[in-house]
Amino acid sequence: MKDIPLTWFLYFSAACFAVGLLGVLVRRNAIAVLMAIEIMLNAANINLIAFWRYGNSPTVEYPGSRISILAESPLSGPIFAIFVITIAAAEVAVGIGLILLCYRRWKAADVDRFDTLAG
Amino acid sequence: MTQAILFGVISVLGLITALGTVLARNLVHAALMLVAFFFLVACQFLLLEAEFLAAVQVLVYIGAVAILLMFGIMLTRNILGDDTTTVPKSTRRLSMLIALGVFAVLALGIATQQQGPPGRKPWKELTERPAVGPDDLDRKTPKAQIVNDMAKFVGRDLLTRYVIAFEVAGILLTAALVGAIVIAHQERDDDPATRVLESEAAAADDAAAADAESSRTLLTSSSTR
Repeated sequence: MKDIPLTWFLYFSAACFAVGLLGVLVRRNAIAVLMAIEIMLNAANINLIAFWRYGNSPTVEYPGSRISILAESPLSGPIFAIFVITIAAAEVAVGIGLILLCYRRWKAADVDRFDTLAG
Repeated sequence: MTQAILFGVISVLGLITALGTVLARNLVHAALMLVAFFFLVACQFLLLEAEFLAAVQVLVYIGAVAILLMFGIMLTRNILGDDTTTVPKSTRRLSMLIALGVFAVLALGIATQQQGPPGRKPWKELTERPAVGPDDLDRKTPKAQIVNDMAKFVGRDLLTRYVIAFEVAGILLTAALVGAIVIAHQERDDDPATRVLESEAAAADDAAAADAESSRTLLTSSSTR
C-alpha cells in the first residue's frame, strides 16, 4: 500500500491554521475567539506528528570517534504534541476564568467591549 | 489508495467543521462543530499511526476542553442576542483576505521548498514513511518500536529524558488552575472594586432617572401650558 505524501498533511494543517486565524479576526465573542485559537493549536499538532512520522532521525557521527548517535530523540514529535495539548488545556482554563470575570463586570462577552484599558 | 480516500474524506470534513466553528452564528452550534473538528483531528492522528495521541486528543480535547468551553458559553449567554458575535462586513472581508493570504504564504512555502535541513530530504520527496510494519519489528529500529508501542515509550521518556519539562508542565498546570479559580471566584459585596463599580452604576442610574424625571416634568409643564 502506498503512503500519502507528507505535503498533504502540511496543506491540511495550513488550511486549518488559516481557518482558525479567520475565526480570531472575525468573531467578537471571546469564547468563539478561544475556540478559534484551539483550531490553530490543533493544526500545529498535526504538523508536529506528520513531520515526526515521515522524517527519520539522522545519525550524527562525531569526528574522531566511532560512536554515532541519533541527532534527536525518536520520540520528540509526540512529546512536543503532548506538551502543546497540556498548554492548550491550561490556556482554556485561565481563558474561561477571565471571560467569566469580564462577563460579570461588563455584562458582555464581546472582546471589543473590554476596552477599559484603551487610551 | 484507501488511505488517500480516507485522508480526503477526513480532511474535507475537518475543513467543513473548522469553517462551521468559525462562521456559525449560534455559539452552541459552533462548539458542537468544534467537537467534531477535534474528533477529525484525532482521525488524522490515526492516519499518521499515532494511536496514543489520538486517544489523548479525544480524552483531553473532547472530554475536557470542549466541556469547559460549553460551560463558558452557557454561563455567558449573550444578553444582547447572538447576532453581536460577528463583525461588520468591511472588517469581515479584510479578515478573509488576511486568512487567505496567510494560507497562500504557507502553501507557497510548502510547494516551493527546494532543500531540506542538513541530512534530510526536502518535504516533497517524503512520500514514504519509514517502515514499521510487523516484518520490520525483528530489526527493532527505535522508530518501529515507538510507533508500535507509543504509550510505553512516552511514559518512560517523560520520566527520564523529558523529566524537567514534565515537572515544569505540572507546575504550570497547577498554577493555571489555581489562577483560574482565583480569577473566577465570586467576589463578595464588600470588595472595594465591586463597590466602586456598583456605586458608579447606581450614580448613573440616578442620573438617568433624574433626566427622565426632569424631561417628564418639562413635557407635562409644556403640555399644560
